[in-house]
Amino acid sequence: MASLSAEERSALRDAVSRLLADKSTEADVRRTMETETGYDSGLWGQLAEMGVTGLVIEEAYGGAGAGPMEVEAVMEAAGAALLCSPLLASSVLAAELLRALGDEDAKARLLPDMAAGKTIVTAALTGDAGTWVEDGVSVTADAVDEAFALNGVASYVLNGQNADVLLVLARADDGLAVFEVDPKADGVSLAGLPTFDHTLRLARITFSGAPARRIGGAAWRAVQAAIDLALVALAGEQAGAAQRCLDFTVDYAKNRYQFGRAIGSFQAIKHMAADLLLETESAISAARHAAARLAEGAADAEAAVSLAAFACADAFTRTTADAVQMHGGIAFTWAHPAHLYLRRARADAQLFGASPAHRERFLKALGA
Amino acid sequence: MTQAAPVTDEALREEVRAWLADNWKGLPRSGGGAGWTASPEQKAWLAKVVEARWAVPRWPAAWLGRGLSDAQARIIEREFAAAGAPGAGQDRTNLWANTLLACGTEALKQKLVLPLLRQEVGMCLLYSEPGAGSDLAGIRTRAERVGDHFVVNGQKVWTSGAATADYGMLIARTDWDVPKHKGISFFFLPMKQPGVEVRPLRQITDESHFNEVFITDAIVPAENLLRDLGDGWSVLQTALAYERSVMGESARGGRSGAAESKTEEPLIALAREAGALGDPLLRQDLAQAIAYKRLNALNTARAKADLAQGSSSPVMSLGKLAMSRILHEEARVRTAILGAASLLEGPDHPRSEDANFLALNAYFTSIGGGTDQIQRNIIGERVLGLPREPEVDRDIPFREVRSGR
Ligand SMILES: Cc1cc2nc3c(=O)[nH]c(=O)nc-3n(C[C@H](O)[C@H](O)[C@H](O)COP(=O)(O)OP(=O)(O)OC[C@H]3O[C@@H](n4cnc5c(N)ncnc54)[C@H](O)[C@@H]3O)c2cc1C
Repeated sequence: MASLSAEERSALRDAVSRLLADKSTEADVRRTMETETGYDSGLWGQLAEMGVTGLVIEEAYGGAGAGPMEVEAVMEAAGAALLCSPLLASSVLAAELLRALGDEDAKARLLPDMAAGKTIVTAALTGDAGTWVEDGVSVTADAVDEAFALNGVASYVLNGQNADVLLVLARADDGLAVFEVDPKADGVSLAGLPTFDHTLRLARITFSGAPARRIGGAAWRAVQAAIDLALVALAGEQAGAAQRCLDFTVDYAKNRYQFGRAIGSFQAIKHMAADLLLETESAISAARHAAARLAEGAADAEAAVSLAAFACADAFTRTTADAVQMHGGIAFTWAHPAHLYLRRARADAQLFGASPAHRERFLKALGA
Repeated sequence: MTQAAPVTDEALREEVRAWLADNWKGLPRSGGGAGWTASPEQKAWLAKVVEARWAVPRWPAAWLGRGLSDAQARIIEREFAAAGAPGAGQDRTNLWANTLLACGTEALKQKLVLPLLRQEVGMCLLYSEPGAGSDLAGIRTRAERVGDHFVVNGQKVWTSGAATADYGMLIARTDWDVPKHKGISFFFLPMKQPGVEVRPLRQITDESHFNEVFITDAIVPAENLLRDLGDGWSVLQTALAYERSVMGESARGGRSGAAESKTEEPLIALAREAGALGDPLLRQDLAQAIAYKRLNALNTARAKADLAQGSSSPVMSLGKLAMSRILHEEARVRTAILGAASLLEGPDHPRSEDANFLALNAYFTSIGGGTDQIQRNIIGERVLGLPREPEVDRDIPFREVRSGR
């Protein structure tokens, strides 16, 4: 696939949208989010057939060899449909981490099955507190003969309960390093966390002498690269979801009548909608721009990614919050989809760091 | 549209560059603030730009243009911008010339298009009245046909640049017996005549760019009527659309003349200079204010890319609203950086002067050219397709419409 033209990219987004319009309807989302695994393996297989699960994996390993812009485009569609899947965890975060670590042996062993959708890999990057920063890592790795043993806790691990393989960031003698761990091995105990956003799967993993294999060398730069791509993916998800949410809200405002008028003819509602349009369009611009800069490896990529991170998180949060308000009582019911988007927005706004931290990083990237 | 011979992007870029290299020698700085009238040097430069057909390249060749696509015209604009040379891209920004070209009589076009592009004639907008601001269709200034001209009576207000203008784009009521939008006509009113009295108004910024205009038996030739009698509302919509898109892209800087950093975001430079860059709360505000600016630039870039691909983008209509958010927020953060120093003004306190001026002048964008509220109505109705607001006076003869302040 490699870097696509703008038209090919929107064709890809449309193809994923069409599939999800069919297979990730509101009813599908509601059913899937209550299952144990939290995703639909049939749909996952179809996404794999379309090349989506291997989007950033090199062609040599069975992937599409595409980049941030394609990931962002797909995630806009996924966000709009509230797709329940390990896409972000496995196909973006873990795949990019492996690429950035550059350990050929690990890549050859893991990537082909990831691309094919047969293996789900996730990355455990935080300590118990869920901070996604260097200082937060609290798992330690001790050398035992040729291998390593891990001890400590990693929490808020995305799709931990779905993973066939764990990539764990831990402190070794020579600094942070990434380790491959079999979640079924002795010394690994994994507990699913009760998530506020039911479409999301998070796990807390305790390691007590768990056998581990070290992958690559110094790890933080690779982790940062993986988090940056994940932030771009998340920004795309947020932008796409915000837009969908605004769409169904505007639709409702045209059709709901009070005082003999469509509520959308009242300025209190109309003006909120106009402001939300500015928010969501800005989110789309920010997400696509960040993807483009990251794809180019541009000097200002960090600023662009940080900007997208907080602009998209804030836009999605505000859009869903106002959408509930604009719907009135109906949105306060479980049966209405607004809360699904509201929950996703509040969850997405915490993943990989919250807006204040991204604003700070943005400012630093501008030299301040 | 008259089509010039097709030219490749590369050839066009080379041609502009070469022409700029031969002709652009810079202009003397026209001392402080926004110039409301062009200097002789500026006019001479503009005349050259127009003659070389860089001013309005999207326009047809018959009217000083090149019949170029939007994408190619932007190449010219980018080269001019890179050289710091003004005058290109007037087919996007010159609302007077565009309105005239789109709606004017042949005679009026022959007379004024060229002088407008060269900024040899000054213009103003005679729209607002004491009783008709957001609701421009409520105007009461009247124009009556007498032989080959119209006689105008009424009062306009908030008229920017009226004191120096040669013509005003005037909306006046020509029929009182039809509903309010249907009885309005649009004229180019000569300003320098005994029937037009301009009185400056002192603004909150302590400047006097806008004025009251009292019109008593003023004369406007019939050839200065744009489109047909009673068709003024449609001309006004064309003119307002140009005005709003220009306001979405440009904004005045401070007025103290204090130098701002060219390499660093001005807000960051200011915070650094004030020793406030370490304040974590302020840093959050700084990031957000800068983000608003960047997001607007990204939106504009995306809208242009969409346009180049032939699809229009809703983002285009968001610029003015975004700009007023940017300006108010930037002024707020500047004030926060300065703290107590913002209590002061005068030449010894240029930073405060700028912050306070920007705080006041931000209303230029959020009120002028239609308020933010009206802009939200427009976005809600025309972009999002929400139902129009009921208007109690839409279908009754204007004579019977209730007024009052
Ligand atoms: C710096 C500046 C320069 C200007 N230059 C010119 C000029 O050159 N020529 C010219 O003709 N005019 C000019 N104007 C006038 C400007 O276009 C009007 O001030 C503006 O359209 C608002 O009209 P108004 O002042 O009568 O306020 P009003 O229309 O009385 O509005 C008062 C308040 O009511 C709100 N409001 C009114 N109607 C609605 C509605 N339907 N829905 C929601 N809220 C509503 C407004 O948003 C505002 O908050 C200028 C104004 C400024 C500030």
